[in-house]
Amino acid sequence: MSRPDRREASQLRALNCSLGQLNRADGSAQFSAGNTSVVSGIYGPVEAKVYEEKLDRAVVEVKFRPDIGAPTTKDKWMESAIRNTFEREILAHLHPRTLVQIVIQLREGDGSVDSAAINATSLALVDAGIPLKCMITAATCAVLPDDTTVVDPTQEEIDAARSTHTFAFASGSSTGPLYVDSRGDFTMDEYNHCYELCALATERVLAFMRTAIEGKVTKEAKISAA
Amino acid sequence: MASVKIVLPGDIIDTRREEDTTQQESNVEDEATVIRLGPGLVQSSEAVSAVTAGVLHSNSETNRWWVAGNKRRYVAAVGEPVVGVVVARHGEGYRVDIGSAHDALLSHLAFEGATKRNKPNLAVGTVVYGRVVVANSVMDPEIECYNSNTGKSEGYGELSEGFMFKCSLGLARRLIDTKAPVLAALGNGVPFEVAVGVNGRVWVNAGSVATTILVANAIRNSEYLDAKQCRQMVKELLEKQ
Repeated sequence: MSRPDRREASQLRALNCSLGQLNRADGSAQFSAGNTSVVSGIYGPVEAKVYEEKLDRAVVEVKFRPDIGAPTTKDKWMESAIRNTFEREILAHLHPRTLVQIVIQLREGDGSVDSAAINATSLALVDAGIPLKCMITAATCAVLPDDTTVVDPTQEEIDAARSTHTFAFASGSSTGPLYVDSRGDFTMDEYNHCYELCALATERVLAFMRTAIEGKVTKEAKISAA
Repeated sequence: MASVKIVLPGDIIDTRREEDTTQQESNVEDEATVIRLGPGLVQSSEAVSAVTAGVLHSNSETNRWWVAGNKRRYVAAVGEPVVGVVVARHGEGYRVDIGSAHDALLSHLAFEGATKRNKPNLAVGTVVYGRVVVANSVMDPEIECYNSNTGKSEGYGELSEGFMFKCSLGLARRLIDTKAPVLAALGNGVPFEVAVGVNGRVWVNAGSVATTILVANAIRNSEYLDAKQCRQMVKELLEKQ
């Protein structure tokens, strides 16, 4: 029953992030959970092409690049899912006729890639100063063949799992999740259990993000006040 | 010194004053105070929430609240001095890249002493220092290179020679607002001219190419240094020259 890396069932891997590493992007963030590492870069608000601009809001575009090889259908699906999630939470009406471009590069994948991508993008949008309704945090759960549910599965655990579920929630909101991706064979009880575990895990991710952002803001503010 | 409150997007802001909370029971029928929300805050139904990350500030006299955070991409606002580059010429004026989502318009007549017969002739690629006069989310921004009230240039206009580089908006504001220690330290060492735009662009002109680059590097380096470290950094750069 013990996990390969000896974690508890509801224990996340070691989280790590750094903000503002990309020189030419308006905002960027690297987020990693264990070996899974994702970099997200934000460009915007910039001028949108005339044929894709919207008159009353900013257009959100997502590009997802896998760690190895050219983008495939799976990556296009991820782009569309992440765009739908963030399009609702970015205050796009403040910047009509502009484009917010999100470029996500997977550096190393070891399971729970989609939740890492969402977390990295959330941090990068904050780094870029793009107005957001809330912070978006995500976590993944896997139901293993022996009916145990584990949080933040590695690729090895995902390959062996009967079903995997990724949920993303808005911070401070009691309404439902912003993003749900469930794959495999599962019962409603298993789904509900994963929902609860992910909700708790995303709270821990949010606390981690808060610490990271406070560190960055403090560093900047201290110099302003000096 | 009051404790610094750092907010994240989605945080609900409690805008009641400390004194108010103790009197809350007795002053139920208080007169409504109007709160002005600045950058980084929006009102959603009854609550005020933050939309960007940064330090929460408030001014008790004017009842203004805002979030101060650093970023790189400029969003034009009226009255701000900006450094831009001419990218196109039109019949009516110039298109100037000021780093915002859309390029700004600069009219031919928005210069000191400009008339229909006597218009300035700026080539594409000219660096200009201007003031934003029109800026909102639905229109392209517009700048002018003189003070339209007095008719004088007051430092605005074409910036010839020199070197323009980009920096973060926070650093640009510090260079303008405060007596920036890096500029003071450099001024003691070398003669130079500088024009700072709040759009994160700085133009520097010193006697020679080497000195200009030295000044530009010193300003870029000073982003996270305090006053003492700035002076030390400038001293080392000048000694190496």
